[in-house]
Amino acid sequence: MAIVSKTSNLVKYGRPILAWSIGLLFFFPIFWMVLTSFKTDADAVKPEHLIWFTPTLDNYFNMTENYDYWRFAKNSVITAIFATIFTLFVGIPAAYAMAFNPSRSTKDILMWMLSTKMLPAAAVLYPMIYLSKGLGLYDTKFLIVTVVSLINLPIAIWMLFTYFKEIPKDIIEAGKMDGVNTFGEIKEILVPLAWGGIASTALLIFIFCWNEAYWTVRLTTIDAATLSKLIEGNRAPEGLFFGRLSAVSTAAVGPIVVLGWFCQKQLVKGLTFGAVK
Amino acid sequence: MFKMSNRRLPRLLQTPAVILLLIWMLVPLGMTLYFSFIRYVLNNLRRPEWTSPSIENWRGWGNYQFVFNNKDFFLAIQNSLFIVGSILVLTVVFGIFIAVLINKTFRGQGVVRVLLISPFFVMPAVNAVLWINMILDPVLGLQGLAISGVNNFIEGLRTVPVLGPFFSLWPEFEPISFRSTQSSAYAVIMMVTWQWTPFAVLIFMTSLQSEDQQQKEAAVLDGASNWSQFRFLTLPHLGRPISIVVMIQAIFHLSLYAEIEIVSRGNGNKNLPYLIGEFANNNIGAASATGIFAVILANIVAIFLLRLIGKTLME
Repeated sequence: MAIVSKTSNLVKYGRPILAWSIGLLFFFPIFWMVLTSFKTDADAVKPEHLIWFTPTLDNYFNMTENYDYWRFAKNSVITAIFATIFTLFVGIPAAYAMAFNPSRSTKDILMWMLSTKMLPAAAVLYPMIYLSKGLGLYDTKFLIVTVVSLINLPIAIWMLFTYFKEIPKDIIEAGKMDGVNTFGEIKEILVPLAWGGIASTALLIFIFCWNEAYWTVRLTTIDAATLSKLIEGNRAPEGLFFGRLSAVSTAAVGPIVVLGWFCQKQLVKGLTFGAVK
Repeated sequence: MFKMSNRRLPRLLQTPAVILLLIWMLVPLGMTLYFSFIRYVLNNLRRPEWTSPSIENWRGWGNYQFVFNNKDFFLAIQNSLFIVGSILVLTVVFGIFIAVLINKTFRGQGVVRVLLISPFFVMPAVNAVLWINMILDPVLGLQGLAISGVNNFIEGLRTVPVLGPFFSLWPEFEPISFRSTQSSAYAVIMMVTWQWTPFAVLIFMTSLQSEDQQQKEAAVLDGASNWSQFRFLTLPHLGRPISIVVMIQAIFHLSLYAEIEIVSRGNGNKNLPYLIGEFANNNIGAASATGIFAVILANIVAIFLLRLIGKTLME
């Protein structure tokens, strides 16, 4: 009996301690980045100032001067917002059609859409550069918004489809009886009913657009460059600028990480297409 | 008749999405296919006619042969598969362990969840810059500082009377340089595993919450050990989430680029997307042929995975 209570004590205290340790371990790199952002560049690489240092906000105040942060941030915000809107604008009608008026090919279309996600971006890199330069769209926000939307469209349609499928068909049909046309159905019945699902899709797509790093780096130079490009351009500061690099990195990921905290539940549903409950 | 038209419009609503994705897929892919069969380079002073795409510069399978004979090519395929495979194994194993660990209620469970999920939302470029500089740098990063700290400590011990000579036999620790060597693949695996383990945890945890508790209680009454409960009840229950985690990650990691670029700038281990980018600096024909190989590789993986889980997705 004594042994049993001993093991249960070990489990009782061991589990939270281990869980907390792992949680802190995973969060540590982010914590370290934020901490370093309050150090001067000189302090950031000195072992004696690893933990004890005089905190300073200079890195944040000088962000505009050192990195022109706000221009990139503005482009990131514009890209993410417009790409999210465009994705929903195209995605909602498509998901509506597939969820409420499925045909025999609906399943295949959905699978095909997902398979476009598997097309390696690098394989079509040069044609995209060639086309965008030829059409005079290289390094424009229009191009980046379009590309980033198309990348995320399959995921958005899948997510919306999963949410729409849960709405009883009868409710939509009832609208039809009342003489509402298709667009009215979407606007007045579907959107209010599936508001939660649409909002979480939007949130997740926004995060993906914000973090997109392949096309935003390859298809831009200055005018449409986003924060991904800014960070990648300063990838190897050779230790001289750890402080200011941390500050600009914190400013680039901070809002998104906080946003992510609020949508972690929806993330599961969205990214597993409702297959994990 | 009325019914027909009533259904046709709603169905038509999926066409914009389908057409956009079709263009997005077919146009660049068709061009890649075309470029892969012609001589097309960005700079060549002796043969200026090769610097613009033209059917007259037809090269047949030449670009494919060129790529096949390039020693980096098979290395890149190998690296691609090694990196993706390692990440998949690590995230699934860690994911299951952590999910089972934090599935029971304990003080601060919510906070631990928030801490754990955070890495998933970090921009890939920031992830790579953060790890390769501030954590893994052999001199100034935490790795370098920790190792020089340990070395200094041993150095100090050597001056201790009596015991000193013993420590002088002790070798100095060498920090690992991840930037431009074979080890760069490990750095990439490390940072991506850090970022995607939270994703696996989140999905496995959600799935664990729907596990049949009565079955578990019955097993406990029958005297089943914790291990056999896990092995025969929990693990089979996680079958579907595991396949989904594997599929989604395979989609994302086969096209890994930013991390490789930032860690080694091509001086270390390249994967297929990186090799394409490198060819594309000048030899578009070769880049396109490599691209076609990448598409084929992705399709093999995709067909395999979609078959595996296609049914479960549609139920």
